[in-house]
Amino acid sequence: MDRSEIKNRVCKVIIQVLEIDAEQIKEEDMFTADLGAESIQSVELMAGFEEEFDIEMDEDEAHAVQSVGGAIDFISGYVN
Amino acid sequence: MKPRTLVEVEEPNLLEDQFDYSLPPKICFEGPIFEEIDGEVVKFDPQEALARDLVITDTTFRDGQQARPPYTVDQQVKLYDMMAKLGGPNGIIRQTEFFLYTKNDRKTLDECRALGHRYPEITSWIRADKGDFRLVVEAGVKETGMLMPSSDYHIFMNLKKDRKKAFEDYLEVAEAGWEAGIRPRCHLEDVTRADIEGFVLPFVQELMRRSEQVAPELHAKIRLCDTMGFGLSYPGAALPRSIPKLVHRMTNDAGVPPEYLEWHGHNDFHKVHVNGATAWLVGCNAVNTTLFGFGERTGNPPLEGAILEYIGLKGDLCGIDTHMIQEMANYMRTIGVEIPPNYPFVGRDFNTTRAGIHAGGLRADERIYNIFDTTALFDRPPRVAITDKTGVDGVALWVNEFLGLTGDDRLSKMKVHKIARWVLDQYEVEGRMSAITDEELEEQVRTHLPNPYGASKAGRMAS
Repeated sequence: MDRSEIKNRVCKVIIQVLEIDAEQIKEEDMFTADLGAESIQSVELMAGFEEEFDIEMDEDEAHAVQSVGGAIDFISGYVN
Repeated sequence: MKPRTLVEVEEPNLLEDQFDYSLPPKICFEGPIFEEIDGEVVKFDPQEALARDLVITDTTFRDGQQARPPYTVDQQVKLYDMMAKLGGPNGIIRQTEFFLYTKNDRKTLDECRALGHRYPEITSWIRADKGDFRLVVEAGVKETGMLMPSSDYHIFMNLKKDRKKAFEDYLEVAEAGWEAGIRPRCHLEDVTRADIEGFVLPFVQELMRRSEQVAPELHAKIRLCDTMGFGLSYPGAALPRSIPKLVHRMTNDAGVPPEYLEWHGHNDFHKVHVNGATAWLVGCNAVNTTLFGFGERTGNPPLEGAILEYIGLKGDLCGIDTHMIQEMANYMRTIGVEIPPNYPFVGRDFNTTRAGIHAGGLRADERIYNIFDTTALFDRPPRVAITDKTGVDGVALWVNEFLGLTGDDRLSKMKVHKIARWVLDQYEVEGRMSAITDEELEEQVRTHLPNPYGASKAGRMAS
């Protein structure tokens, strides 16, 4: 799965969970500081990534994923 | 001021010499306690105290009953039986006391005795009235407490006597006890408001002098009764409220051996438990308690508090069965006794957290927000109560505890996010004001986690 596809699917989850437009999302954005994710939404994002990519993240790994780019990199490393 | 430098460590320092999670934390002392008394520095050595035969005595069926509707005979027998198991074979709960005035009083005492427990030893309580000794003899009891009010509040204003009359009357009753072959346990009522030099000391000295003339098993005991909760543990406090000074007067000036000295407190100023423990450390071998502190007005030193304090001082269970504390609490609830939810050790919420940040800490390591291994000692694992403040951490903690999942089998926060969202929506969308019940959460688990639910004990029972 190439990085571009991963990015598209990550953004799909973000749009669904945070109810924002695609134009608002940049790779360098932090989920909480820049995109306004609340505490529970941070967890919902990780759960969304697990479901979208059929992966299992442990909580320490999930805690380390703080940004859009970080999520893309983590998932890229996981699936590839 | 000596400069300090940060000490970096590779492993966390959990201070386990004091905080062995398998026990209540150890009470460590780094040296003796000093108190200036009569211009001299007096040393109280906690190590010496720990070498003495420290015990707990009980007045659940006497003072404990004075503040509530009476227990039935069966209830008292059941509680006595559980108390015996709690204190264990070493008799940490050494004695209890019963009234003798009614048929039910006698029936209770007889049925408790018939259980055959060595401890708690059965004693009685009577007024300081020679005639009441007949009851003690008929009951076959070897030691009885006797009310001997020691403050002028009582002597003059309640008993309408003067000091000389009280002095003589009390000694007369003690003598009657000795004649009947019964050990007198002299309850110095309101002693923390008494004239220690002018009445208490002369009286106790005379009791000790006369005790030398009788058999050792009849030696008078002294119960220091802090009837109104005025006692103070603070260093430097003045008599008659200072517990160290009062006890020192008894042991040093009146010649009362620690094994014949007992503390009885009340909680009018929230000091009851620490005052009892202080009395242990400064020379009283016995602290008199009631179950869950129920007693006159604001109550007495709580028995279970003294039990946990004892374990903390000794650093060992000493044969105590701590599970009985929960059994006794559960039994009390079945007979209609309410225990406040935030009551230490036995309240419904004593180890329940509501705050999400605390739930997060509990999930990382239970020791962070649990006082000791309450699962092992009490069968009470730490719990989380779910509210709008609990967060996903709290929901994950609740769900894993409910499903019985531990270690690597535990579900992550991501697996319970739908339940956490449901909880939050209850408050933010539905405007709910109350806590989420266990039944509601179970339903959410059944809905969103059907497989783990089906595999769990609750799920198997439900099906």
